[in-house]
Amino acid sequence: MEEKNLESMEENKDMLAEEHVSEEETPKKPRRRLDRKQTFMLITIPIVFLFFLFNTLPLLQGVMYSFTNFRGYGDFDWVGLRNYADLFTDVRAGKSYLFTFRLALVATIVTNVLSLALALGLNGKIKFKSTLRGFYFVPNVLGALVVGYIFSYIFTYIVPAFSKLLGGEGVSMLASSKWAWVAIMIVCAWQAIAMNTIIYISGLQTVPEDVYEAGAIDGATGWSSFKHLTFPLILPFFSINLVLCMKNFLMVFDQIVAMTSGGPAQSTESISYLIYKNGMSGGQFGFQSANAVLFFVVIVVISVMQMSFTNKREEQL
Amino acid sequence: MKKKIKKNTALFACVLMLAGLITGCGSTQERYGVTTVTIVQYKREAVSFFDKLEKEFNASHDDIKLKIESPNDAMTILKTRFVREDYPDIIGIGGDMDYSNFVDAGILSDVSDYPGLKSIKQSYIDILEGLEFVPTEGIYGVPYVANAAGVLYNKDMFEEHGWKIPTTWSEFMRLCEEIESQNIQPLYFGFRDTWTCLAPWNALAVSLADADISAQVNRKEATYEEAYDEVADKIAALLPYGQSGPFAYSYNDACIAFANGETAMYTIGSYAVPQIKSVNPDINVDSFVMPASDNAEDNVLNSGIDLQFCITKESPNKEAAYEVLDFLLDHDNMQAYLDDQNAVPCKDEEFSLAKMLSGVKSYIEEDKMADFHDHHYPSEMSVDAMIQTYLIGKDKEAFLKKFDKDWIRYNRDTIRKVEQYEKEHSK
Amino acid sequence: MENKDVKKTQEAKNNVSENTNEKAEQDMYKEMKKRIRNEKRAARKSANKQVNWPVTVLLILGLSTVIFPLYMTVMIAFKQPSEMTNSIKGILSLPKTWSLSNFREAMEVTDFWNSLGNSLIITLATVAISILLHSMLGYVLGRMRAKNKGYKLVYFYIISGMFVPFAILMMPLVKQTSLLHLDNMLGVIILYTVFYMPMNVLLYSGYLTNIPLALEEAAYVDGATTFKTYWSIVFPVMKPMHATVAILTALGTWNDVMTPLVIMSGSKNTLPLAQLSFQTQFGANYNLAFASYLLALLPIVLFYVICQKQILSGVVSGAVK
Repeated sequence: MEEKNLESMEENKDMLAEEHVSEEETPKKPRRRLDRKQTFMLITIPIVFLFFLFNTLPLLQGVMYSFTNFRGYGDFDWVGLRNYADLFTDVRAGKSYLFTFRLALVATIVTNVLSLALALGLNGKIKFKSTLRGFYFVPNVLGALVVGYIFSYIFTYIVPAFSKLLGGEGVSMLASSKWAWVAIMIVCAWQAIAMNTIIYISGLQTVPEDVYEAGAIDGATGWSSFKHLTFPLILPFFSINLVLCMKNFLMVFDQIVAMTSGGPAQSTESISYLIYKNGMSGGQFGFQSANAVLFFVVIVVISVMQMSFTNKREEQL
Repeated sequence: MKKKIKKNTALFACVLMLAGLITGCGSTQERYGVTTVTIVQYKREAVSFFDKLEKEFNASHDDIKLKIESPNDAMTILKTRFVREDYPDIIGIGGDMDYSNFVDAGILSDVSDYPGLKSIKQSYIDILEGLEFVPTEGIYGVPYVANAAGVLYNKDMFEEHGWKIPTTWSEFMRLCEEIESQNIQPLYFGFRDTWTCLAPWNALAVSLADADISAQVNRKEATYEEAYDEVADKIAALLPYGQSGPFAYSYNDACIAFANGETAMYTIGSYAVPQIKSVNPDINVDSFVMPASDNAEDNVLNSGIDLQFCITKESPNKEAAYEVLDFLLDHDNMQAYLDDQNAVPCKDEEFSLAKMLSGVKSYIEEDKMADFHDHHYPSEMSVDAMIQTYLIGKDKEAFLKKFDKDWIRYNRDTIRKVEQYEKEHSK
Repeated sequence: MENKDVKKTQEAKNNVSENTNEKAEQDMYKEMKKRIRNEKRAARKSANKQVNWPVTVLLILGLSTVIFPLYMTVMIAFKQPSEMTNSIKGILSLPKTWSLSNFREAMEVTDFWNSLGNSLIITLATVAISILLHSMLGYVLGRMRAKNKGYKLVYFYIISGMFVPFAILMMPLVKQTSLLHLDNMLGVIILYTVFYMPMNVLLYSGYLTNIPLALEEAAYVDGATTFKTYWSIVFPVMKPMHATVAILTALGTWNDVMTPLVIMSGSKNTLPLAQLSFQTQFGANYNLAFASYLLALLPIVLFYVICQKQILSGVVSGAVK
């Protein structure tokens, strides 16, 4: 593996060199060139416009619907702030926020710890590198139906059998309103680890070898090498993963549908599950639009806080 | 490096070409003088039947071209088509809250002038009328087939042990005890899938509560707390005869258990039979009406409209659509559907019924049927989850109080409409 | 000790950027070539010796968390519905006969080649456009957001799009795409390009913070336009990120059901859409479904393996700096 990298490194250098030569040989005609600022504007404006057209514009319409009793089609009435007033007194919505945030927090921690360890392992000097990487990627690709079925089976039949062997009661986690969220968390983490590992691996590629060499001279190996050398350098990837994890877990939907459909006793209804199920399949489009708007605002506030925190840390280092 | 740029430009050109290709595919041309009638129907499992029917229709009709679509997740597709105002001529949907909403949103056309409606059983027309939020002048659908729910039982097992079909609640309880005493599981539940909680609930409610209870509550003439008291007691009384920890198992688990003879009975509708038979094709299944009341006369079959055809208001081809409906309602075609899907016909004619319905046949013939109560519950209220919560926690009072409270909250707009209607029509 | 380590890191960083600050000269490259060749030799020696076996074994053991569910999936895909049971022994047992009939039937039901083609077109086009557009925007925002308030605002504006639940956008988008005559595959591709923009911009601009500005300044001083500098210097350097973005975007689009379902309303099938046929209201054919899922898994895993190679070969650009 290493060999190949170095080989292509040579190629790249050669190419760079050639280009410089050729540019020196052909004298440039004087022409008006866009300065950096203008180019940046030229790139940014059309793309942001596209984003506005297909993300912000429909969102604004959604915000509009949050003041109606629209059911997704047909005619509707304006209801003012009723949906928002309802939202703040809705026990079910409140419970779904608590569940979702608890799940997201724990799953984010578990996923990041495990995927960072996995990325370090897979990036190390190991045998069967490609095969291992290939297999660890699979959880991310399996569809919700498969994951739901397999893990329901594991939690309904296999885990209780094991716990019985160990002297437990042999009750399924999915049947307990206390523990069902843990089962969901495990499956979410299981699926998400693959993706986070990929990002950590590509982050590890930006750490130059000489950093380790320099560290090794000072005797930094193992944990201290990771803590003081590797981790600070992949900090940007850590914050990317935090944001993506929060995004994926706060919007958890598939796993809920596939495993518990919100039960038992409505203990695993996530916000997205409510928004989708009641807004789309049910006739509560207006109310759930209000829910989505609130959810959006809450997350944006959290992530702005989170990002300014990690940005500060990055600057400190 | 320069090579790379070229490569990227080429890639970009490819993408553009691709884009052109995709948009290039446009509409198909129509033959002159031929009306095309499009049906979108939601019974994905009946796709092969409808494909065949479409071919037969087109082979025998020159002036009408029939197109039947049976897409996956048809209800979502229908709703999105309504949003973009792309209305199919005919929609095949169930008789549930979606229908009520479609009527309320003014999407469907009045078909009371359709002659074929006369051949439909009055009880199903009544069920349809009962689904409307506020009474309307017209009729907005042609009921095609119904399903039936009650208790499925393993006929071989029953014959082997000499068990009798119960006709009253106390007989049913005694039967469960007898089965249990022989170390056989009487019932099996798949309550992890919350919707399966509604199956025994509906089957009990049709006999124990008024069919129009929802309308009564909307008119503030009744409360669920009173009406559902007995239903709540009896559904909880079933639990001890089920497997332990019923909330861990799914609908599919229960189907497999029943198919493999792990349980004698299963409180679910006839719709589960294909799934059961896929696991064990040789199983001898029959069904009986849930004997909810101790007075055998009071017990009615839980049967709702499984498939009905509605014509959209925007359809320009109502005449042609009626002709298509005639074809669909033709005796032989309907019989073919019944054979294919084990359904109950909504038409008042002699049909041969699937074997698993023989236990409920007399109810069908005597027209002793009532609609699923949950067809009147707004889905966002999640009554299924509420029942599951009640069965786990066993707090009946809290459950029924919440039922009434949530009902008012989730049906606010409907209740307001009903009030308005009452005001207008009271004089 | 701790301070020293950090210092060392920074020194290493500085060294790297200083190197690039120097004007590129032929001699230097020759020298570097030699150094690299020596390093390569040394690396080959050490690579052979230092296989980290404990980690390898640990990773193989950890693999059981993936292999076990995968094993169950494969077993179910080969079994017949009549072989489904509720016992542990039943699920772990091998199928009675090994026949590809499930796979054949699954391909028939889903109209496999047709749906696969649609899925491939949508996924590949989305990935290609995403890499082109998002990397550019990521570059601009990565470079400017620290300096310019306006760009910082744009950055947060785009990133915040990540948290808009699709359910709220769905109905308005259905209407909008139909008005623009985009209720087809092109529309789906455009929507994906927009949906994955926040994540990809986040990835690209994050990656850029580890790429020194000096790298492009050199080319800029040489008289290249910003755009050309971007294409010839920055774009290639971001190769590992392109591969990462490609995988993540492809994965999201490949498995997505909702967008093509509501936008195309059944006029064209993608693989996940076609796979919905295995689930009807009151039953599911898990055996056929699992066979079909395994078939759909293969192309994306292949794509992943290819991209992984790109991520690794990208070490170069990272180290050159």
